[in-house]
Amino acid sequence: MFLELLINGITLGGIYALIAVGYTMVYGVIQLINFAHGEIYMLGAFFALTFISAFNMPFFVAFALSMGCAAICGMLLDVVAYRPLRNSPRLAALITAIGMSIFLQNLAMIIWGSRPMPFPQEHLPAYFNQTAFVVGETPISWLQAYIFICTIVFMAGLNLIIHKTKVGKAMRAVAQNKTMAALVGINVNQVITVTFALAGALGAAAGILVGAYYNSVYPLMGYIAGVKAFAAAVLGGIGSVPGAMLGGFILGIAEALGAGYLSSLYRDGISYAVMIAVIIFIPAGLFGKIIRETKKSM
Amino acid sequence: MNILAFSQYERADWVRLGCLVAAILLPFTPLANEYVLHTCILIFLYMILALGLNVVPGFNGLLDLGYVGFYGIGAYTAGLLTVHYGLSFWVILPLAAINGAIWGVLLGAPTLRLTGDYFAIVTFGFSELVVLFITNETWLTRGPLGLPGIDPPSIDLSWLGGPVIWLEGDSLGVYYLVMALVLVTLFVMYRIQNSRLGRAWFAIRDDELAAVSCGINLLVYKVIAFAISAAFGAVAGAFYARWVTVISPDAFLFWESFFILCMIVLGGLGNIWGVMLGAAILVSLGEVLREILPLLGLPENSRFLFYGLLMVVMMRLRPAGMLPIAAVAAQMKTTSKRRLAWFKKKGSAA
Repeated sequence: MFLELLINGITLGGIYALIAVGYTMVYGVIQLINFAHGEIYMLGAFFALTFISAFNMPFFVAFALSMGCAAICGMLLDVVAYRPLRNSPRLAALITAIGMSIFLQNLAMIIWGSRPMPFPQEHLPAYFNQTAFVVGETPISWLQAYIFICTIVFMAGLNLIIHKTKVGKAMRAVAQNKTMAALVGINVNQVITVTFALAGALGAAAGILVGAYYNSVYPLMGYIAGVKAFAAAVLGGIGSVPGAMLGGFILGIAEALGAGYLSSLYRDGISYAVMIAVIIFIPAGLFGKIIRETKKSM
Repeated sequence: MNILAFSQYERADWVRLGCLVAAILLPFTPLANEYVLHTCILIFLYMILALGLNVVPGFNGLLDLGYVGFYGIGAYTAGLLTVHYGLSFWVILPLAAINGAIWGVLLGAPTLRLTGDYFAIVTFGFSELVVLFITNETWLTRGPLGLPGIDPPSIDLSWLGGPVIWLEGDSLGVYYLVMALVLVTLFVMYRIQNSRLGRAWFAIRDDELAAVSCGINLLVYKVIAFAISAAFGAVAGAFYARWVTVISPDAFLFWESFFILCMIVLGGLGNIWGVMLGAAILVSLGEVLREILPLLGLPENSRFLFYGLLMVVMMRLRPAGMLPIAAVAAQMKTTSKRRLAWFKKKGSAA
């Protein structure tokens, strides 16, 4: 029982970690809670579903293509909605983020309908549901293993991008000080847009994996997952990428164990409660620093 | 001040007075039917909610995404007290307000020390927890089945030797009842914004650092604001419960919070007249969209597509709303321009 829950929790945690990284990166560079990030995750899942069922693409091609599409969506989101408000007060940007989130949710509802759609199982690789290996007495399917591997690979790749490439260096510079970054010749707006693209691609990957894992994709899936992933980002210390990864896993495991041992009715409540508790008692999270408002609050 | 010295009034005052007179007379015009009255009651209900929410984002500049949690708390407080104890509407109203305010303080006191972003997300989490509680604790709330059999509002004249008037299915009575509640809310808000409390809030909204320097205790004033906002949310909830007589958790989802936020953003953050206008416009628009959307083959809930878009467009083009107040407009709009000017000046000086 415990082992099974733990494995479920790790699978779930990997997915939360992938989404949480998107929140934390965007927050790191522009100090904005991108509420619409959950919707990019949802769109990613729908893109993959559409590519697979309408165009008969193989799963892995659809996976890569949807990540690309979601990256473009993320960039568009930034350019259309957030860039004009770059110097506006935080309240304006937050309200815009909420507005975009609701807008995209309803757009998806109009395009794909509000009922959950099953992921076309016959197009998934057949070995996904077979047992990869057995830990103790708990079998782990290839899909679960695949989710875990994907999470690790994407995280490692992201770390490489952030720490070894020029774009990553520019991102870190922008996160530290936008004015100084601009003075040394970094195109700040471009770097921010690239950040949104990266966040979008990772979010989409999470969405597709969830869609395949739970075999259902629906317009409201981004709403709850988004908040949970945000809770994970807060737990890890917002702005910190390793923190978001760790936070995602902790939250996933806590949720699985809580649902198993305490009450499955309050499954979603566990994340909210963890988030509120973290914000109240350790607002800096596990790896973050306390955020002071540099601009006026409004 | 002699209120009959007409020369002191501005045109806006006459417009407001005209709206009030029109609202009072509306049920006696040929326009009035059951549907119109029902819509108007809804408008008034949302006016109370919008006025209550406005205290936090409008007066204090903090985003509150969990307002509907207090609305739900008020509704279930009223519902349970009515069903189990049969208390009168007029006893329940203050009890609901107190319960809302208590939760506002409990939630606000630890979280209002934090930055605005964290506060926004905590309020969101809180309202989700409220809905989860209502849905899952079926022994208390009957969960998704809803809590039926709540008495309608009543006007008790027995202490004068008169009858007890039950406003069951009496749209006209409910119409005037909720209008009175709006007027009371409006009066409170109007007096608060011109009081020491209101001035402190505006100072916090305009510049926290300056406000602290003037000796304003940020946490205390923010918690007071949050508690007052919560209390009015709960009052609206109590009225709602007694009006519809059946409440269920799906009336208190995040959509409602967003809808009310749309009203105050559209009308004008911080402007009590603006947020009332916003409520009237969006509730009416909702009714219109309810008719139009099915004709276009869209689900009724997709009207939120327009509201979401509305928020984005408003923030871009007219961030201080339809009836902006100067302080908010100055902050929301000119930040970028002011900075640009500063850079230009620096550039030419160098």
